[in-house]
Amino acid sequence: MVPTVGDCVIRAIAGLDVLAATAEAVEDEWQYVTDLGTVWRGRFGQVVALRGSEPAPPGAPEAMEALVAEAALITDPHRAIDWLSTLPQIALAALGESA
Amino acid sequence: MRFQDAKPDGRAIVYAHIQADALVARAAALLEGATTVQRVLARAAMNGESTEASAWRAMFPTLFGAAAPSPGDPVRDRSEAILAVALEVADRGEQTRSQFRGAIVEAVTERLIASRTGPVRRERRILFDGRPAEIHPYDVTVEAEVRPEAWDCKWGARGIKADVLHQLDDARRGAADEGGALIVGLVVFDARRSCEVRLVREKGAVSLEGLKVIALEGLERLAGRKPA
Repeated sequence: MVPTVGDCVIRAIAGLDVLAATAEAVEDEWQYVTDLGTVWRGRFGQVVALRGSEPAPPGAPEAMEALVAEAALITDPHRAIDWLSTLPQIALAALGESA
Repeated sequence: MRFQDAKPDGRAIVYAHIQADALVARAAALLEGATTVQRVLARAAMNGESTEASAWRAMFPTLFGAAAPSPGDPVRDRSEAILAVALEVADRGEQTRSQFRGAIVEAVTERLIASRTGPVRRERRILFDGRPAEIHPYDVTVEAEVRPEAWDCKWGARGIKADVLHQLDDARRGAADEGGALIVGLVVFDARRSCEVRLVREKGAVSLEGLKVIALEGLERLAGRKPA
């Protein structure tokens, strides 16, 4: 079965969840971490609503796998916070979407 | 209102060496003319864990995949050069690469603004009559008689903090009190969406009306150009 844009977004959100769990160790930034997750999940939701059933662009499924693997390597909570913003930008670029 | 060199402390002297490193200038030159996706690549690889270029090429199929420009194409060559320089920054170790990242954002900002106006200076304080001098210098200033500017540069949206916003707003109001006008702004090497999240939390009583926020997608605005 051909992977869809929606399938890619599911993988990207899995990466976002990993980062959010790592980032939560920074208690002072709990609200920011929560807010970042909310707005980027919302952006992914917009993409799924418009293009979820479309076939994924070439290379996008592989990009999501590489992206989730990179997110799993990040163990420093401060870097994880930075990556909570970076990961969605990469995922959206792979799907041909703006941030 | 007048501009003045910041008094160098120990941290500033160490940081000045990083600002002067050839790697910073090389990265800034590449990023000045980069696309948004190329800038996202730089942001990711400079603060990532993977040191293998192949991992990053897989994450950016629009830059390096089958449908991307072929090797030898100027766009592809710039993507490759940006990836190489970003991994070089990442290789400097955690603390040092953090300083390099900041210096690179400042250098890109300086180059883009200098293509529009001048004179552009770095690490300058702004003094107002009857007001105590600010401690922290602005990263980049435009010291023109008409429409001077003061910019602070941040690697990520998390660097947007209440004290930074207060200082910029104070400077803007200080200039207005003297009958002048000072353009103040933040340059953030991060997505606008993340910046907006941070601004909502950090702005407090500061009015954001007079504050320009230039995010990663809109860096061309510093040069007076519309984002692609």
